[in-house]
Amino acid sequence: MTIRAFTNSVREGFQGILRHPLVTMASITTILLMLLLMSFFAIFSTNARFIMKNVGQQPPIELYMRLDGTETQRTAVSDYLTGDSQHVLDFAIATPEQNYNEFKANLGSSSSILDNFDYNQFLPYTFHIRLVDPAYANDVVIHLEALPGVNKVMQEQQVMHFLTQTTKWVNIGTAVSFCVLFLISLFIISNMVRISVYSRATEITIMKYVGATNAYIRLPYIIEGAIVGLVSALCSWGITYIAYSRIYDVLMAKIDPASFYAILPMSALSNRVLLVCALCGILIGAFGSGVSVRKYIQV
Amino acid sequence: MIRFDDVYKTYKTGTDALRGVSFKIEDGEFVFIIGKSGSGKSTIIKLMTREEKPTQGSVHIDHFPISRMARSLVPVLRRHIGMIFQDFRLIESKNIFENIAFAGEIVGMPRKKLIQTVDIVLSVVGLRNKATAFPQELSGGEQQRVAIARAMVNDPKLILADEPTGNMDPLTSEAIMALLEEINRNGTTVVICTHDSNLVDRMKKRVIEIADGSIVRDDMDSGYTCSLDDALQGAEV
Repeated sequence: MTIRAFTNSVREGFQGILRHPLVTMASITTILLMLLLMSFFAIFSTNARFIMKNVGQQPPIELYMRLDGTETQRTAVSDYLTGDSQHVLDFAIATPEQNYNEFKANLGSSSSILDNFDYNQFLPYTFHIRLVDPAYANDVVIHLEALPGVNKVMQEQQVMHFLTQTTKWVNIGTAVSFCVLFLISLFIISNMVRISVYSRATEITIMKYVGATNAYIRLPYIIEGAIVGLVSALCSWGITYIAYSRIYDVLMAKIDPASFYAILPMSALSNRVLLVCALCGILIGAFGSGVSVRKYIQV
Repeated sequence: MIRFDDVYKTYKTGTDALRGVSFKIEDGEFVFIIGKSGSGKSTIIKLMTREEKPTQGSVHIDHFPISRMARSLVPVLRRHIGMIFQDFRLIESKNIFENIAFAGEIVGMPRKKLIQTVDIVLSVVGLRNKATAFPQELSGGEQQRVAIARAMVNDPKLILADEPTGNMDPLTSEAIMALLEEINRNGTTVVICTHDSNLVDRMKKRVIEIADGSIVRDDMDSGYTCSLDDALQGAEV
């Protein structure tokens, strides 16, 4: 295809949008609704993964030093944790005194029974460790248990397992929902475009008779579909932006944004939603249109 | 040169459209293909444009076996053939200039050259003053002249016309045929499928008659019906 033929196709693509305004509007509305659903899933899954990540990073690993552990051994553990930034998000060391105070605080009104407790004799130094991903827990525990002076390493196995599994299922659920929605949109849009293509079937036949290639005939429809998809994507992104911002304001009115169950603000999701909408919109529009023309170019 | 070698065509419905058709058309010839409806005339045109493929036998254009050519090459073939239809097949949303230019745009003709070429072909068909009109504003004869102009834009070596005067009065038909004859005089091969007996009789060109998918007559300088002399000559042979 020559540059001249290509530019003609692009021009035809733009003209096609205005040629059938009602079909264009119907196509935009259909893709828009599908993209709104997709945006909802994108936001839901991103928030779900964000919360999972936050929950997973709460101290699920407690390391207990031996009672006779030395300062050198504690430093060795600290150095190891500091060096393993690939797995360890952060950690905090608690002295026997801090552990004693926390223990007392947990007892509430009964805490007086511990008043004469010699914590240095019975309570060890402990490390509270937060991981980048709960899936790393087993590896980190094995390494920590091998360090000198370490008495035991406790991890909430069930919590870890639950978090890993939930994150996995959220990801799978999102991927499946996306695929299903994508196919449904493709089917609907290809039928919508078929109406527009049908009204131009004669034109396509004539083009074939004068020697137009299939690519030359398809290109204007693909461009038209891509533009319709892009417009739908921008509208969908705009609606999602406004709606989610309102929902965020209501939901987060009494929640600290730093808490582990806080959801992401729209500013953090905006680019991702725009990317998802634009990519899906353009693909659905272009592919749906390209498929619809197929039947009419077999002349 | 167009060559049909023992061509058979059976459609998926089981209809035998052509049964062992063989003929040769040399460059620059003017040929009428005549026959009753359903005799196989249009199938011959469809085989020449590779709209259909023969069930058996081969079709050659300029020694190139188009019946075996790759699908991707079909558009290239069609750019060398000008097609004219009974129903004109003009695009109603485009004006006359655009309808004609569109055939040149497809092959990527430069804009300046395209404008000049369209201007020339519009002059040839006598519609230069109608360039900005739309097809529905023109008479049937004028629309067919636009279709002829469109067929000429890419300077084809071959023009195929399927009932080009089917919807026209005798006077307009004469004008269309005169135009096609003029194009033929400049070296373009013209093949016309028609029912118009008056025109065929008057023009005295080569006539290939098809009946039930077979060639029953292939005469030079002939008319729509076989003359008594021809019949007698045939009987003597």
